Amino acid sequence: MNYSVQFGSRWPSIRVGLLSEQKYGALINNFAHAGRVSRELELLNAVDFVDESQKAARHMQWDAPVERVRGEETAPQETHSEQLSVEQTQTSSLLSTSISPNIKCYTFSKGDVSRFPPARPDALGTLGYYLLDAASLLPVLALSVQPGDLVLDLCAAPGGKTLALLQTGCCRHLAANDISASRSNRLRRVLCSYIPKDISTDVRITSWDGRNWGELEGDTYNRVLVDVPCTTDRHSVMEEDNNIFSRMRLKERQMLPMLQMRLLLAGLLAARPGGEVVYSTCSLSQLQNEYVVERAVEVAETEYNVSVHVEDLSYFRSLFQDTFSFFADCRLGELVLPHLTANFGPTYFCKLRREE
Amino acid sequence: LLEAVRLSLAEQQRQADIGSSELGKMLDSFSDMGFSNAQIMQLFRLQPKLAPQTRLAVVSELLLLGLDADSTLRALQKSPEVLRMTAQQLRHRADYLRRLDLGEGNMNLQQVVIDCPSIFTLSWKKIDAVVRVLKEKCVFTVDQVTEILHRCPNVLLEEPHDLEYKFQYVYFRMGVKHKAVVKSDLFRTPIAEVKNRHIFLERLGLYQTPDKKGQTQIVNPKLKEIIRVSEGDFLVKIAHSSLQEFEVFKKLLAQEEEEGDQDIASEETD
Ligand SMILES: C[S@@+](CC[C@H](N)C(=O)[O-])C[C@H]1O[C@@H](n2cnc3c(N)ncnc32)[C@H](O)[C@@H]1O
Repeated sequence: MNYSVQFGSRWPSIRVGLLSEQKYGALINNFAHAGRVSRELELLNAVDFVDESQKAARHMQWDAPVERVRGEETAPQETHSEQLSVEQTQTSSLLSTSISPNIKCYTFSKGDVSRFPPARPDALGTLGYYLLDAASLLPVLALSVQPGDLVLDLCAAPGGKTLALLQTGCCRHLAANDISASRSNRLRRVLCSYIPKDISTDVRITSWDGRNWGELEGDTYNRVLVDVPCTTDRHSVMEEDNNIFSRMRLKERQMLPMLQMRLLLAGLLAARPGGEVVYSTCSLSQLQNEYVVERAVEVAETEYNVSVHVEDLSYFRSLFQDTFSFFADCRLGELVLPHLTANFGPTYFCKLRREE
Repeated sequence: LLEAVRLSLAEQQRQADIGSSELGKMLDSFSDMGFSNAQIMQLFRLQPKLAPQTRLAVVSELLLLGLDADSTLRALQKSPEVLRMTAQQLRHRADYLRRLDLGEGNMNLQQVVIDCPSIFTLSWKKIDAVVRVLKEKCVFTVDQVTEILHRCPNVLLEEPHDLEYKFQYVYFRMGVKHKAVVKSDLFRTPIAEVKNRHIFLERLGLYQTPDKKGQTQIVNPKLKEIIRVSEGDFLVKIAHSSLQEFEVFKKLLAQEEEEGDQDIASEETD
């Protein structure tokens, strides 16, 4: 698959982003002194992008008519909001209420190349924030965990998204799994440094093959996150052109879409009817993204008689356009593209609902 | 009128030991050489403490090199320190520059002096070191060295070590041959600028280092086209990118360079 075909004239800009230093976000740990830590990060000029998007959405709703008049006067590329009709604006505001207010993640604004210092432990040894690619929070936000949910994180290590899931404070129980025992240990260590003991009792860490989850615990979870292994384009883009270094053996790579498809399928089967599943990758490849989703939906339907609905997440694009650079042309799901001014991603995510 | 000029100038100097008529003769000489009254005023404003005789001697030497009154004044305004040299030093330096083959047809040496008058005040050793680096380390032919000195006389002001690095960068990293290096006026461009533009293109997928056989899968833009255009033209015509992206890129690259190959300390990626 040639990315210059898939992305056309946008490819050089994505490529230079992939090959330059990526940006991080600081996920605030609500189990530490979140307020103090937030203020420290604000002093660095970082902003909580989740909160900002919520503010912007509320604004959009109230100011929608005004915005539109102004939008018509200004050059089209200057105001993104005008591209949305009033109707869409309102729906996105309504939908944005499903975004967990408890997930706070600080980033430096577009074009700012500052970095976060490593998090320091407080008096109890708990770390104040976790550094990760801020775009990797979008799948978690898309999952919109509700109070009392049973949640499964099928491929959880090293644990950035697990941590974010726990920040919502909504998981009645969280099953965090990763096939690799050593990586599961890393996940355990991460949780140890961020989550107090009494809360982590509701977390179960396992090292099973996620592909079997349907048989192990079928029809069980309200929410399932399937964050599959994938080719990290940030490391492999050079090899596309030069064949100099290959991080993953070819055979392994060819097997990836099959593994991803089976993991997503297992996630769908582990969800209870009406439950929701988010599939995510850090790849730009359609083969690992849309194609895998389509195949899994098809197989669930034909072989397991489970019907699945692919949800529309296009409101994420308008909600988070100030922080991330989105690709508008995914057949299914949403894709964050690396861009020098907002060098997050790639992150692909697609939300599926298991029909009752 | 000239009397007034003379007086005002004389005040700043130790005019005591120079007779009024003597100074008058000197000013006449300047006029004879083609300087206007206004130009003479300007000339005397440079290095005010300098004795008029020395001033005259230096100016004469420059005129002997083939410069006219206009360019002499411009060169001296650019590098007033040249006035502090003795006529003999100047002559030696001019001889040496001629031997470097700069002087062919006078026009060239004149150009060098206008572009880069401070070349006269450089130490002998310095000039020699630069020429040697170009010939021996960068393996330019004598003709090429001459052309480089014609085109970018300011190479003589650079650290020989920096020149060598700059050359090696474009030769090995970018795969540019000697002839194209000369034509690109590489030595007029700061190395940081060369790297910014080259690495930007490389990461955009628009530039490739040629392999051992000198081949690439894409057609690289010429070095000249990359470094001899304004930043705006570079972005629009060569990189097809935006100023915002290039601005961020330059900041990131500067950070990368500062850190060398050290990995950026961070917690987990996923
Ligand atoms: C992209 S990483 C997950 C990152 C993690 N969700 C986070 O946010 O930190 C993919 C993980 O899938 C795990 N994995 C690979 N094959 C698996 C399988 N068959 N079952 C479960 N996990 C698997 C890998 O060990 C790897 O840790």
